[in-house]
Amino acid sequence: MFNTTGVYIVASSLVQGGRHYEKGLKELFAESFLKALDNAGNPGVGAIYVANAFAESLQDQGVLGAYLADYVGLRKTPAIRIEGGDGSSGLAFLEAYNMIRSGIYDCVAVSGVEKMSDVTSIRLNKALATITDYEYEGFFGVTPAAISALAMKEYMSKYNYDYEDMAIWPVKMHERGSANPLAYMRRKISLKDVMDSEVVSEPLRLYDTAPAVDGAGTVILCNKPLKNDAVVRVDGVGVGSNGTYIGQRSELTMLHSVADATNMALRMANTEVGSVNAVEVHDTYSILGILALESMGITRPGETPRALSLGQLDPGGRVVVNASGGLKSMGFPGGASGMYELVSMHMELMGTKPFDNLNAEVGLVQDMSGFDLTSTVILLRRVS
Amino acid sequence: MVDQKLSVPRYWRRIPQYYRLEGVQCVKCGRIYYPPRAVCECGSREFRAYPLPSVGKLINYTVLYSVPSEFEKMKPLVIGIVDLGGVRVMGQIVDCPDPSKLSPGIDVEVVFRMVKMDGNYGIINYGYKFRPLNSC
Repeated sequence: MFNTTGVYIVASSLVQGGRHYEKGLKELFAESFLKALDNAGNPGVGAIYVANAFAESLQDQGVLGAYLADYVGLRKTPAIRIEGGDGSSGLAFLEAYNMIRSGIYDCVAVSGVEKMSDVTSIRLNKALATITDYEYEGFFGVTPAAISALAMKEYMSKYNYDYEDMAIWPVKMHERGSANPLAYMRRKISLKDVMDSEVVSEPLRLYDTAPAVDGAGTVILCNKPLKNDAVVRVDGVGVGSNGTYIGQRSELTMLHSVADATNMALRMANTEVGSVNAVEVHDTYSILGILALESMGITRPGETPRALSLGQLDPGGRVVVNASGGLKSMGFPGGASGMYELVSMHMELMGTKPFDNLNAEVGLVQDMSGFDLTSTVILLRRVS
Repeated sequence: MVDQKLSVPRYWRRIPQYYRLEGVQCVKCGRIYYPPRAVCECGSREFRAYPLPSVGKLINYTVLYSVPSEFEKMKPLVIGIVDLGGVRVMGQIVDCPDPSKLSPGIDVEVVFRMVKMDGNYGIINYGYKFRPLNSC
């Protein structure tokens, strides 16, 4: 790595998560990719990095890069699919970042695309089980929801919380999502709604679970700003891993891959977590959002539900968490999830509606595969 | 019919683990691993087979209602983490009609059970599950 070039997000776009039965992977990808490219003023892109987790299981489609690039008329542009489970987007972003930073390309596109609604939920659970150690977890019926439930139970008992205390996460996320036109869930909910929702894996309920959606998002990265007004610069990237088999963990209340990735990103950006104004965390299950914040050092271990209920992580505070409504509200488009967080953060830093009151300058985006398998953390800064 | 794509060799090669809960012990430092691995934390690559004990303690559990396709007829599944002689293993807790009677710290034993059937005409997959020693 030569570390000679700055990396800027010059444009982004998002397809609202939902049940897009009339669109396939190609159409969803093209919609977000072409819009981002137009927003950037159509710079040529040297390569496309495509994040996707489940195309083989859900669409019987491999070689996603070439398949998608051809559809948007870029047959000769290298298009590389990155698979890292539901953390694919962060990893794809890292690859794109490296290519620009090392001077190989001037501009590249990173797209996340996933279609979750092509199968029934019971088939989807089977695909989701591939983000466990399948031979020793998925084989016996274990799913990411079951692992998250175990972590939630451990967290509640360790820090003496009732389920009612934990329900603050979905309540807050829906509140934020209700103001976000790009959210899938745009309805405020009450504590009672959460408490009355069905149990997915005790104590985890339906409202603790980000709803599976179809979706696509794209960011265009370049080695210089393409416009003269405010732009977003990538100041730090980090990645961490922590093995697969959950049984081997001595505790489930700290996400070590997230902690490592955060430290790496902060070190690279030569800054501290205290300077961060906005955070987007990967809350596929509410407990994962809580653990991510604590593992990143945004909140102290055991403190998050209390801090949330006191409004300390709301817009207008020292640091705003998931101003977008998180994946809980935006929806969970598998390997494209991180792209939803990245595009949301880009909008938050740029002050794009509805995020025009945040006034955030430094943002952290955390993406993760399964339960603490591989995580990425990206530090973005608004520069003039 | 259940929706499975598990081939015979893929299942067969894990029989020492699925049938006997066989982990590995590092020849150099004595650490035990389940599932088996190729390199120990101490750096050694030499291991001997180490069958885990058949009785242990329940550490934590959850009752899973939203299950993968092949477990539809068995739901809900009770998924637990069990300590077997200092090694933690994840698996199903069975023979417990009332999971609310489970609690961390209770004794469980390893039992050999059918896990699932493979495809329309396929093999039956067996493996370990855990049963509370006292009824629940």
